[in-house]
Amino acid sequence: MELIIIISSLTLAALIAVLVKHRGVIEFVSIVAMVIVFVESIVVAIRVATSGDYAPFTFLFIDALGSLLILIIACVGLAAVVYSVPYLRRETATTIIGFTRVKQYYILLNLFSVAMFLAISSSSPILAWISIEATTLSTAFLISFYNKPSAMEAAWKYLIINSIGLLLGFLGTLLYFTSIDPSIGNGFVSWQTLGENALHMDPLLAKIAFIFVLIGYGTKVGLAPMHTWLPDAHSKAPSPVSALLSGVLLNVALVIVLRFKLITDTVIDQAFTETLLISFGVVSILISALIILDQKSYKRLLAYSSIENMGIIALGFGFGGLAVIAAIFHIIFHSLVKPALFFLSGNLLITYHSAKIANVKGALKVVPMTSILFIVGFFAITGAPPFGIFLTKLLIFSAGIRIQPLVVIAVVFCTALVFIGFFKHVTAMVFGEKPPEIKQEKENIWLILPSLVLLIIVLILSFYQPPFLLTLINTAALRY
Amino acid sequence: MNITFLQFLLGVLFLSIIYLLLARKNFEAVVAYAVQSSAITVLLFASFMETNSIPLLFVVLVTLIVKAILGPVFFFRLIQKHKLTYSVSTYLSMPLALIIIATFTAISRFQQFSPLTYIIPAHHALLSLALSAIFTSLFLIINRKDAISQAIGVLSMENSIVAFAIFAGLEQSPMLQLGIVFDIFIWLIIATVFISMIYRHFGSLDTSTMKHLKD
Repeated sequence: MELIIIISSLTLAALIAVLVKHRGVIEFVSIVAMVIVFVESIVVAIRVATSGDYAPFTFLFIDALGSLLILIIACVGLAAVVYSVPYLRRETATTIIGFTRVKQYYILLNLFSVAMFLAISSSSPILAWISIEATTLSTAFLISFYNKPSAMEAAWKYLIINSIGLLLGFLGTLLYFTSIDPSIGNGFVSWQTLGENALHMDPLLAKIAFIFVLIGYGTKVGLAPMHTWLPDAHSKAPSPVSALLSGVLLNVALVIVLRFKLITDTVIDQAFTETLLISFGVVSILISALIILDQKSYKRLLAYSSIENMGIIALGFGFGGLAVIAAIFHIIFHSLVKPALFFLSGNLLITYHSAKIANVKGALKVVPMTSILFIVGFFAITGAPPFGIFLTKLLIFSAGIRIQPLVVIAVVFCTALVFIGFFKHVTAMVFGEKPPEIKQEKENIWLILPSLVLLIIVLILSFYQPPFLLTLINTAALRY
Repeated sequence: MNITFLQFLLGVLFLSIIYLLLARKNFEAVVAYAVQSSAITVLLFASFMETNSIPLLFVVLVTLIVKAILGPVFFFRLIQKHKLTYSVSTYLSMPLALIIIATFTAISRFQQFSPLTYIIPAHHALLSLALSAIFTSLFLIINRKDAISQAIGVLSMENSIVAFAIFAGLEQSPMLQLGIVFDIFIWLIIATVFISMIYRHFGSLDTSTMKHLKD
């Protein structure tokens, strides 16, 4: 029932945004819908933590990792909607966008959230594929939201590259169905049925299928070298959308890859899938580290940081054992810190009217709250203590040093480069003298609050995890 | 239906992709896509003839409307609206492109791909051809510079995967097939809107002129 409430609340909010012509109503309904979704997500998570996998209907199914993701979608979704209200009002005040755009924004944002919930909670891999494709379709117009040539270019690149990726993922998905008797379930095959019948699959076919799935859905995850759409899309979308894309969508696609990994591992030696995850992870970390060092745009900097973090998560699942728990924690921490940083980058964009690092100087004097939180976010995302990412990286690397010492050494070196790159850019933006044309204004508390809350949650979770959350993480780690 | 006729339909699909690679006029490319989609619809209809499933007949009808009628109509209107008679050039020259297609066709028969092409041993040759159609469609998207051809390439790749699924006996339940066709329909609308917007912003559909985004 909770899942139905989640999906129908968001669908209803999108529908109201279509029908209503009053901005305040659209904003209010979207926030209320997200609050309902957030509460219901906690209920689902507690239910899964206490009673195990939850399948209220034939088409819906939630396991421990799925319920963690649902919590993340709801939490970041709520923060994004709350942030969107003052952010878009500011954009409207400066005549960057009109009411029609705002209306479109809330329709698409709610549909995007529905698609992500469905992708995670679908009991069928094909339904999950349809939902993931729906996330592409709902976000394409959000990326081209500002209707500028660069935004158009980013959106087209996003649409084409992700469509190709998802078609390859679709082919891979279909190949897993060779293990199933066509008469089972009248053509409707669930994740569970696939897992139960996986042993009937040709091992060679399983390898090919997983390669297609990893390349296909890996495109959506942002793993290099299929990542090329990500920095463009994340830097051109409105900041709340970038937050959702970076903090949530990448993980949603990753969960689909992990579900196929689970099935593949029952057919062949899991070293195959682990090696692939490690390889893609290392390439992602290497490429992002090198680009972060000499990055010109702070939004692209955050986008490349997402590629690096997805690489680290892939490494965690590749190394296995204790690293899997660390990787799940890393998903949670990254999903909360990165949206906070994207919201703060939105504040900088509003103030400085430029996404170029070179044009942002003396931010500490102009927007002190934003700057302090940006510094905190920088430490959190690069893995400085006491933030949880420090520990997750440490655990992943220590788990990997015994299996792949050279890989870990290279990755540690790359993460050091990322820290240096981030440090260089953040200090250049935050300190120094502000440009004379930039006026100091009082910061809007509603533009600060979502980031502040997310960073506080990260700090708390770094030291204390509620029992139900710990149960979910442990259960997910045992399964994946 | 007769296996020879099904082979003929797959041949039509493959040749239409080759034609898409060679076509210089957008109108011709859209016609090739319409023919290809019609072939896919007939292939699905053949599945219906075997099963006599009414929901599957509904899928056939929706596929016909979306892929063979609405898709081409959307593209024709776009071509007429912006007078986009000629397609933008390709990255690789024609002889080189043909060599690559030949290579893809040969690769799809390699031993490494045998687990794919022997899913149903009796359909080995057909599955090889469907696989090379998938690869060739992928090449079509990469090699073409104009947005219309890239969009048609994506749709063509989807058609090729559907053909592969049919010959490999991996068809989904009618409800899921409808979901997929609905996704394609939305994709089609979004792609045509974007193509129109690209033309308005850049004055051409040449995606190689889009160079606003750099690291």
